[in-house]
Amino acid sequence: MKPVYTVLFVALFALLGRTGHAQQSEKPITGDFAHLPFEQFARQLEAQTPYRFYFDPRAVDSLFVTLQVREQPVRAVVERALQNTPFHFVVDDENRVFVSSGAAISPAPATDFYAPKAVTGAVAQEDETSNEPAARSRYVSASEYRVYTIGTAGSAAGRATLAGHIRAQKTGEPVIGASIYSEAPNVGASTDQFGAFSLTMPPGRYDLKIRGVGIKNTKRQVVLRGDGKLEIEVEEDIVALKEVVIEAEKDKNVSGMQMGLEKLDIKTMRQVPTAFGETDILRVVMTLPGVKTVGEGSTGLNVRGGATDQNLILFNDATIYNPSHLFGFFSAFNPDILQGVELYKSAIPAKYGGRLSSVLDITTREGNKKKLSGSGGIGPLTSRLTLEGPLVTDKSSFILSGRASYSDWILRQLSDKNFAQSSAGFYDITGHISHEINEKNSVYATGYFSSDRFRLASDTAYHYTNQTATLKWRHNFTNQLFGVLTGTYSHYAYDVSSTRNSVSASELKYAITQSGLKADLSYYPNSRHTVDFGGSTLLYNTQPGSLQPLGAASLVRPDVLDPERALESALYVSDKFDITPRFSVSAGLRYSFFQALGPRDVYQYVPGEPRTESTITDTVRYGANKVLANYHGPEYRLSARYSLSEKSSVKASYTRTRQYIHQLTNTASVSPTDVWKLSDATLRPQVGDQYSVGYYRNFKANTIEASVEAYYKTLRDFVDYKSGATLVLNHHIETDIINAQGKAYGVEVFVKKLTGKLNGWASYTYSRSLVQVNAATTAEMINGGNYYPSNFDKPHDFTLVGNYRFSRRFSTSLNFNYSTGRPITLPLSKYYLGNSLRVYYSDRNAYRVPDYLRLDLAVNIEGNHRVKKLAHSSWTVGVYNLTGRRNPYSIYFKSVGGQIKGYQLSIFGNPIPTITYNFKF
Amino acid sequence: MKAFSLSARRALLWGLAVLLGSCTDPYMPDVITSPEALMVVDGYLNSQGVTTIRLSRAYGIAAKTAPPAETRATVYIEDEGGARVVLRESSTAGTYVSDNVTLNPARNVRLHFRTATGKEYASDYVPVKTTPPIDAVKWRIENNDLNIYVDTHDDTSASQYYRWETDETWEIYPVYSPGIEYSNGGIRPISARLPSICWGNQRSNAVHIAKTTGLTKDVVADFPLRRLPANSERFYSRYSILVQQQVLTRPEFEYWTLLRKNTESIGSLFDPQPSQLTGNVHCLSSPAEAVLGYVGAHSLVEKRIFISRADLPRDQRVLTGYEACVPPDTVYISGPRAARSPEATILRNAFLSQLYLPLGYVVNNGSTGYTAKPRDCIDCRTRGASVKPSFWP
Repeated sequence: MKPVYTVLFVALFALLGRTGHAQQSEKPITGDFAHLPFEQFARQLEAQTPYRFYFDPRAVDSLFVTLQVREQPVRAVVERALQNTPFHFVVDDENRVFVSSGAAISPAPATDFYAPKAVTGAVAQEDETSNEPAARSRYVSASEYRVYTIGTAGSAAGRATLAGHIRAQKTGEPVIGASIYSEAPNVGASTDQFGAFSLTMPPGRYDLKIRGVGIKNTKRQVVLRGDGKLEIEVEEDIVALKEVVIEAEKDKNVSGMQMGLEKLDIKTMRQVPTAFGETDILRVVMTLPGVKTVGEGSTGLNVRGGATDQNLILFNDATIYNPSHLFGFFSAFNPDILQGVELYKSAIPAKYGGRLSSVLDITTREGNKKKLSGSGGIGPLTSRLTLEGPLVTDKSSFILSGRASYSDWILRQLSDKNFAQSSAGFYDITGHISHEINEKNSVYATGYFSSDRFRLASDTAYHYTNQTATLKWRHNFTNQLFGVLTGTYSHYAYDVSSTRNSVSASELKYAITQSGLKADLSYYPNSRHTVDFGGSTLLYNTQPGSLQPLGAASLVRPDVLDPERALESALYVSDKFDITPRFSVSAGLRYSFFQALGPRDVYQYVPGEPRTESTITDTVRYGANKVLANYHGPEYRLSARYSLSEKSSVKASYTRTRQYIHQLTNTASVSPTDVWKLSDATLRPQVGDQYSVGYYRNFKANTIEASVEAYYKTLRDFVDYKSGATLVLNHHIETDIINAQGKAYGVEVFVKKLTGKLNGWASYTYSRSLVQVNAATTAEMINGGNYYPSNFDKPHDFTLVGNYRFSRRFSTSLNFNYSTGRPITLPLSKYYLGNSLRVYYSDRNAYRVPDYLRLDLAVNIEGNHRVKKLAHSSWTVGVYNLTGRRNPYSIYFKSVGGQIKGYQLSIFGNPIPTITYNFKF
Repeated sequence: MKAFSLSARRALLWGLAVLLGSCTDPYMPDVITSPEALMVVDGYLNSQGVTTIRLSRAYGIAAKTAPPAETRATVYIEDEGGARVVLRESSTAGTYVSDNVTLNPARNVRLHFRTATGKEYASDYVPVKTTPPIDAVKWRIENNDLNIYVDTHDDTSASQYYRWETDETWEIYPVYSPGIEYSNGGIRPISARLPSICWGNQRSNAVHIAKTTGLTKDVVADFPLRRLPANSERFYSRYSILVQQQVLTRPEFEYWTLLRKNTESIGSLFDPQPSQLTGNVHCLSSPAEAVLGYVGAHSLVEKRIFISRADLPRDQRVLTGYEACVPPDTVYISGPRAARSPEATILRNAFLSQLYLPLGYVVNNGSTGYTAKPRDCIDCRTRGASVKPSFWP
């Protein structure tokens, strides 16, 4: 034991110590102790005598006492107990027994040690924050014992508002989603994405506890006299694999208003094994209840029976149109720069809108405000590097992160010359700057760029790119009113060029650009109301497709679809009202408007007949910015919570959503060349209604959360296609699109334990997702106009994500997934036509592929945890699909030489071992 | 555009799949047991010649038999004016042929038939298209492959949707010409010499279609029809390919596009879902019954080319197709190398099945016997027909 440690040790003991044990005449001890853990031994002695024992429970956890004593004094008993062990003890004059290993402790601490601490009576009580004997920064522990006086008396009539930020002490980054609360009276708040909080309480003295992800638990003592500010710096929990605590959310499960919300922080996500060893947020999101995907090579999410285009994916508030790299084997977000992700499945807050099924809100970290640092990782297919540091210390910081693949190199190593001539690669860059202008104003800027490029045997080259930018200005009007003004820009584009045949050499391009401006305000009139209101507007510009000849010999006729343009705006207001401490409601209304704008030619069709080329009656030309279609409607966001007890509650919600932009895809999974189409005169907006109820209960002091949620959902006017529809370069896409109706319902059971050596979650979902295409004519109907299972209808789904921590440096993670196979259209019979056997297929999605089952295992090994060293490093060794089960991704039937054969394709047919090295400096 | 991009993506996926340990296993589900025997109509109405229509039934996907033919049906072509051309069942069961007729291109036509059980079927009325001539059938050797291309055009831009079928024929020269045979329990001089030349034949089973609606002119240039290894045995002596061109209407073209998608490109990650494809034929007696097949009406144009060995580059090596047939085996009947059985037994065991043929008598270090090889190495009729086709030079 090093001297510094010893001193702190003693200090801590001193703080823990219960004073006032009067010197009494010593009572002798009698007892038989057989292999008794030292801790129990000490407790037994404490029960018999006025002595109190102080020791580090972890240091003595392997110390057992075997002893028989008759009428012995305490000192002699302890001396015998510790004989031949490395432990020493000291007894001070207040009957306190200090047990330690190594050098003996002097019971008299350095006299100046308490000096800066203003110890008050409150300090002496036991507090879980001080159970950790590990070294605490003097600043933070000093802050814990200081009493902050806030405001001037009389400035607030009955209530005072305390506002401020919670920041990491080491890096100055805001701590997002941390809870700050007082237990008596029970008032609390959590920090927003800027680390800001606001609490309104009657004047008085409070112990404010602070809990959060990745920070050490701490508290502040305040005497609140009037409105004021409190800036809190907290220690980062440097041990990355410490229990993945969502302590901030500890009782959120029960007491929080939200339902259908899943929050994950990056530390949780890092534990989940993935196929390529790299943390993949979308893969982790897919392990949550209610989230499904059609297959392993796809990042398309299906949330509660919704289609893949019904998820609003926000990256620091900018919409991401293609969240994947390399056909979906990687998600587009570099894990090093991420803070966390929130998924709203039901009860979507009124400030979000534009998609039917869910909101996936991904936020980046802020850079280190104190010093320059970096991190990175090396995996089997990609490498990444992040740099961050202050621009102005404590005021502004930057973080810049890049990632690139070297799959190109691997393709070149393949012996097949077709692959050797191919190339496939991607990279992405993310940058974020935050600057605090003054106490009331902060600005934030984020930029994101990704690029994917692949080419096949020097024939067809594909390229797609995502670009987003966000600029945010946060202003505190008063302690009770905050506002954020956000400007966003998103751009997604792809091009496909083919040069094999000079006569048909061509380039196909698509692009969508979205610019938006929104204002979000939060008003805290008192502790019972939280009012959010604001407005937003989005301008879409798309280039729906252009085909241009490449080279002089090309005979390809240029074909350019008219650009599309539209404006989507919304106003919203919501109020969260705690009617009684047990009952609260949140009522929100969002009203959205959509205008499709010219210039454009709009075809008119014979009314009442299916739209085909032959039913076009007229073409109407709309001039620039002339409104060619107008849609608007209310979106209700209602939810309520009733606490049955401290440990359980019931919640209910109703959510309506409207969606004005549609992804056109005729394939089973999301592909990079899918196009997004705006609503127009013929394509109506999609409308979804969801009703959900849930029961929430926490066990074992909020360490185990359990919930059951049930939902029923209807979807109107989402896009389906006639068989074999042409989606690319179609001048009258409305003739190939059918408006489908859908319904989805299900029950989700979720159990989560996020503390302790063993942590993780398990979920079971029963859900159905059904589609109906009941068009005007029989030819357009699918399955005779009856409901049929959607592509992603998988009724049973069980997921287990578990992590067991053997020690602080060594942990192992397990991921188990079972689900019903996805629906498939099967061949029913064969026939001979055109010199070959052909297949006659069943009704759409009438059968299912075999069930899906996968087990992944990973071992995380951390470097040592010295706080000060050049670089922290860790290794992740994992096996994806440990059992090697050949889960069919797809089943298909092929006519080869006149013979029909059925095949099942498994993407990961064998266990895939991976190894990744991560570092941080 | 979409179609070729799909195949390209698939190719790269397979590449990745190799890296990821992905695999493809055979899969035959149990659910497909007793399917409905749907009516299948295969053929088109030839506006300038003989119309051939094959009627059959769909059958179980796992069945190994030939498709069940629909016999004794009453079949005729019918135009909107009511004029009829009767088709009669030929010697091949389920195949109905007309006389050589010319249909009036100004009138829409359809196929109408009644089965022996009295059910009545008809296709939709379709316009009669006239197919423009084939400009050229060309071939080139590229990357050790011999590719065959077709060119065509229509100055009136009325064609636009094309479909091709191919019929290949090639000469086969066996490497052995035995003078003996096994008959009546012994080796005797051959009664009839085996043919010294045969003609192999293969009709295309892939769907070759193209459209020119995306081009400023109705021109098809270098449409690839066939790819063979340049050293294929088909080029050993003389090879011929007959290209048959048809012009389709747009719905018919879409039918063939879907048919090709359904049978040739389903199953990769990005391929579209199979569609329930029927066609333009309906059962008039029970409208709910699905009928498979699309009956269009158009003329047919053909072009045949020959590729001789001499046309290939001089240094192009060509296989004989009989590489695995040399050297011959030997069946010893006496001497140290012979089996300890009577000669008649040895011969009967070796040659009675007639799948293994003797070539000639050999003496080898005191052992005697017959050289021999499987019939496939000797009798070229296992690989083709010995009757010279009428078009062969």
